[in-house]
Amino acid sequence: MLRVALDHREPDRIPLDFGSTSVTGIHVSCVAALRRYYGLAPGPVKVIEPGQMLGLVDDDLRRAMGLDVTGVFSRRTVFGFPTGNWKEWNFRGLEVLVPGDFRTRAEPDGGILIYPEGDETAAPSGRMPVGSAFFDAIVRQPPIDEDKLDPADNLEEFGPIQEADLDHLERRVRAAGESGCGVAISPGGTALGDVARVPAPSLKNPKGIRDVAEWYMSTRSRRAYIHAVFDRQCEIGIQNLARVHARIGDAVDAVVVCGTDFGTQTSAFCSVATFRELWFPYYQRVNGWVHANTGWKCFKHSCGSVERFFDSFIEAGFDIVNPVQCSAAGMEPAALKRKYGSRLVFWGGGVDTQKTLPFGTPRDVREEVLRRCEIFAPGGGFVFTSIHNLQAGTPVENIVAMLDAVHRFNGVARA
Amino acid sequence: MPDLDKLHQAVIEGDWKTAAAATRAAVAAGAEPLDIVTGSLVPAMDEVGRLFECEEYFVPEMLLSARAMKASMEIVRPLLAAAGAEPVGRVVIGTVKGDLHDIGKNLVASMLEGGGFEVIDLGADVSPERFIEAVAARNANLVALSALLTVTMGSMKTVIDAFRAAGLRDKVKIMVGGAPLTQQYADAIGADGYGASAAAAVALARRLVAA
Repeated sequence: MLRVALDHREPDRIPLDFGSTSVTGIHVSCVAALRRYYGLAPGPVKVIEPGQMLGLVDDDLRRAMGLDVTGVFSRRTVFGFPTGNWKEWNFRGLEVLVPGDFRTRAEPDGGILIYPEGDETAAPSGRMPVGSAFFDAIVRQPPIDEDKLDPADNLEEFGPIQEADLDHLERRVRAAGESGCGVAISPGGTALGDVARVPAPSLKNPKGIRDVAEWYMSTRSRRAYIHAVFDRQCEIGIQNLARVHARIGDAVDAVVVCGTDFGTQTSAFCSVATFRELWFPYYQRVNGWVHANTGWKCFKHSCGSVERFFDSFIEAGFDIVNPVQCSAAGMEPAALKRKYGSRLVFWGGGVDTQKTLPFGTPRDVREEVLRRCEIFAPGGGFVFTSIHNLQAGTPVENIVAMLDAVHRFNGVARA
Repeated sequence: MPDLDKLHQAVIEGDWKTAAAATRAAVAAGAEPLDIVTGSLVPAMDEVGRLFECEEYFVPEMLLSARAMKASMEIVRPLLAAAGAEPVGRVVIGTVKGDLHDIGKNLVASMLEGGGFEVIDLGADVSPERFIEAVAARNANLVALSALLTVTMGSMKTVIDAFRAAGLRDKVKIMVGGAPLTQQYADAIGADGYGASAAAAVALARRLVAA
């Protein structure tokens, strides 16, 4: 069914995704709440993405929620340590499972620090303040000497994929295939200038340009440097994708290529002209390789007001856009569907997560979900998910109202 | 005759080295520090805001201009203090408790400083108590609260309520901004104003201190 939707044919029902990628995920606290709601086996939930504290949507929950996509994540987390060797951790009163190398220290004010590669002798690379529910990268910017800036310093986190990583992806893809669901894979390494990754929370001693504001300024003032980083990253990324494909073949439907945000709530982070000069050639190379050598569809995440980039996204070879932030300027759903619906798959746009889902009533949620389904479903090219991850604190009754509305639209009665 | 045009242009072009050199040259040529601010920096940052609003400039260009403006202000600020010059207003700014995102807040702070305000920037993850302490200590008349996350925007109401509980609500105007916010939300939590962008925040701040 996922494949039908991705091919812009209208499936029997809209496919649903929650949990298959790090931008369509569910906060671990919401996963725990959903498991309780559906009466599933109790016990701590695995945190599969420790940066955003996303929880594992296991087979039983996926069935209960009526989901159609499963995800395969890279072995190494955003903080550089591998998943696995699970241990219990008390996350502000909620017992969860975290990777064995997930090592934290409490700050005097109750904030939580996390360490790259689980090495507590290194400077912490992430912090979760009191009142937040996920980690933000700590910027560790060494002094910049313009004469000594070397693009290689911004490439330390990108290298040849390891055999252990390939083994992991192969095992997970095989297991995902047995689920009968569509499969999305996030092998990593091809996100170009994603400011969530620029500070390099996986590295113990990051070098180069690691401050987010400095990076943004560099996209204007140090273009040759950025080109050099993207060029080499692209080369490494394609080599790694080739090795991944050699292991897993066409057993996945979509590959998450890049999560760099180009949009803000009301505008963009750069002009279309800048996008076409600085990002477009490299996206075109990665997506071109994918299309020439695999059956995968290329998935692009970008928050915000990004309609102005859609023609360039399409020309660069992206098949799928996410999260389709309809609340941002110029992102009116019916207009997007009319203009781009035959050329881009909308993997998102299902319901607003800034207002409706966290703060609305179940009725508000139902109404918005049904409206979005009516707009996006015709002709295929739509995978239902909310606009970005389900955030901590989202009422479970609203999540259930959202799911029930999609199932109602699909004509599927669920218990 | 001091050449303030060069400084003005350097700020618009985001060239901090030229901005600093032009400021030093203007000071050496006898320019009054307040004239440097009102005659060059304020109109330059107003122009940067206009270019941002009409989407000729984006975040990178804004950041570069802000850095150039700051390079100039580093030189001018002590001279202003020595001359006893009064700012347009004193604003305490910060990202609220639980939220570490500060790029938007930093841009607003820079635009306010470039707009002639004295800016007391408390950084990110700021508790209500720190906002109150800073307002009292610096005799500020404006508070600017930033939040990027839906899970932290509720902290803005906590800050406003804390000012009320401390008996200081009538002494300051409170403005709010950030991606998930709206005018409706600002009204609901009792803020005095909402700015949808860094440039809009400056216009709002000027209105609030003039009211």
